[in-house]
Amino acid sequence: MEDLQTTPVMSSVPEANTANADKSSVTVTKPIPHTYDLGNLLLNDANPLPPTLSSALLATTARECAQSLINQLLLTCPITSTPTAGVLMTLPPPITPLPREKSLPAKKEETKWEKFAKKKGIKDKKRGEGKMVFDEETQEWVPKWGYKGRNKSGEGEWIVEVDEKKEKERDEEGKGKTVRGEGRRERMEKVKRNERKQRNNERKARKGGGGG
Amino acid sequence: MLRQIKPKNARSKRALAKQEPLIVENPKTTLLLRGTSSSSLVNDLLTDLHSLKRPHSVKFTKKNDIHPFEDASSLEFFSQKNDASLLVFGNNSKKRPHTLTFIRCFSGKVLDMLELHVVQDTARTLQQFKGEKCKTGVKPLLSFSGAQFESPTLNAYTQAKNLFTDFFRGQETTTVDVEGLQLLISFFAGEDAEDGQKAQIQMRCWRIITKRSGQKVPRVEVEEMGPRIDFRVGRIREAEEGMWKESLKKAKGTEARVKKNVETDIVGDKIGRIHLGRQDLSELQTRKMKGLKRVRDTDGEEDVLELEDVISQDEDEDGGVEVKRQKVA
Repeated sequence: MEDLQTTPVMSSVPEANTANADKSSVTVTKPIPHTYDLGNLLLNDANPLPPTLSSALLATTARECAQSLINQLLLTCPITSTPTAGVLMTLPPPITPLPREKSLPAKKEETKWEKFAKKKGIKDKKRGEGKMVFDEETQEWVPKWGYKGRNKSGEGEWIVEVDEKKEKERDEEGKGKTVRGEGRRERMEKVKRNERKQRNNERKARKGGGGG
Repeated sequence: MLRQIKPKNARSKRALAKQEPLIVENPKTTLLLRGTSSSSLVNDLLTDLHSLKRPHSVKFTKKNDIHPFEDASSLEFFSQKNDASLLVFGNNSKKRPHTLTFIRCFSGKVLDMLELHVVQDTARTLQQFKGEKCKTGVKPLLSFSGAQFESPTLNAYTQAKNLFTDFFRGQETTTVDVEGLQLLISFFAGEDAEDGQKAQIQMRCWRIITKRSGQKVPRVEVEEMGPRIDFRVGRIREAEEGMWKESLKKAKGTEARVKKNVETDIVGDKIGRIHLGRQDLSELQTRKMKGLKRVRDTDGEEDVLELEDVISQDEDEDGGVEVKRQKVA
């Protein structure tokens, strides 16, 4: 606390201006004002220094830089205090142009489907229309696929029409297949087919893009 | 060059995937290594740099027969192998005493190099300073003092500034703990001496101590923490134009969009400009007078429809209803 009550008479450094010599001062005034890059916690002090630097000069300059930078940080950055993470300060994005470590990632190679879709002008339905569709019967929005999806609509029926011919075929095949599993089997077939295509695309992309 | 490795199991696949280029990058790893005839001073300083840079730092202890400015291929190899894009190579020879070469890599190739000779008399290691040290892994505050660092043309000092900023800034973050502002690394460069000797770059590390001042901001004091290094500038290899440009590229969409029509004036007030379209004076609400009211006549249907919107608000209920009835009929 005694730092607060220092008298203004104390000016041991002769050429330093009185504001900075004051031991409780929190302001820094320089002929050329400091510039900052707060995103990198960086301060530029363009004031020229003499050819030989004494350690006292270095200490005072460093103190002024620290004071000035901390002042700028505390006064311009929004500060939030949280009980768990402590007092956090939000920094602006850095200004200094610094080189990247690696070049920007290469664009992913188009999959066979993407190429085809582009050629045909097919748009992503999930993006445009969304996943939900309106069910006119129940007057509700239902998902096209997934839990309670539209694509499973016929599966829970308590009574099912049976095609005699197909039923016979299934019986011959054996393995306890019934009409009830027909919809699900079709769906699983589609999923497998899609996964196969996905693997193909990945393999193709690795072969094509791996060399560069 | 490293040969292209085709991952054979999930673990090596993950390890390779970690090294792939990213849009938002990890903090750069630093690799510290020494030459065949490194001095104990250089070794100590490498250790100090390692402790300042931890945890984003790797230190090698074996000797390496490398001459960075003659052939940097082994450095590139180490850089790729360790996924480290900042390298510090320490060596000591009669011609180049106590030398630290700072090397930056981009995509596994050397981007630029800066050779700095440590002045032996003034150098002090971290251990030689008594007193408290700051925590490891804190994001340091950086300051560059001296007109040399602000030169508009590229020279050793501006390159050193860019390099040291890159070297010490640590993780790029948007939030920082106020408690963590406890390390200041400052660089000083005086004017060149009159006998033509180039100015030294002096590096000092300080622990920041804040005291209550009774005002909004605290009173800041600094205490030297070490290491203390004075550098004489040696050889430089500047970055190639194309490579430098490539390395500064930013991914689309990562840069903040410029807010149009919002300015801040000298006082610090935010001023916005709003564009209103041309005002439609025909719909201007003027003072209503009984004498100017249009006479309601029900000769044709068009006339009545025209009146509709006026009626709905200003007139009594009957008028509005009447119009509706006529429309239906």
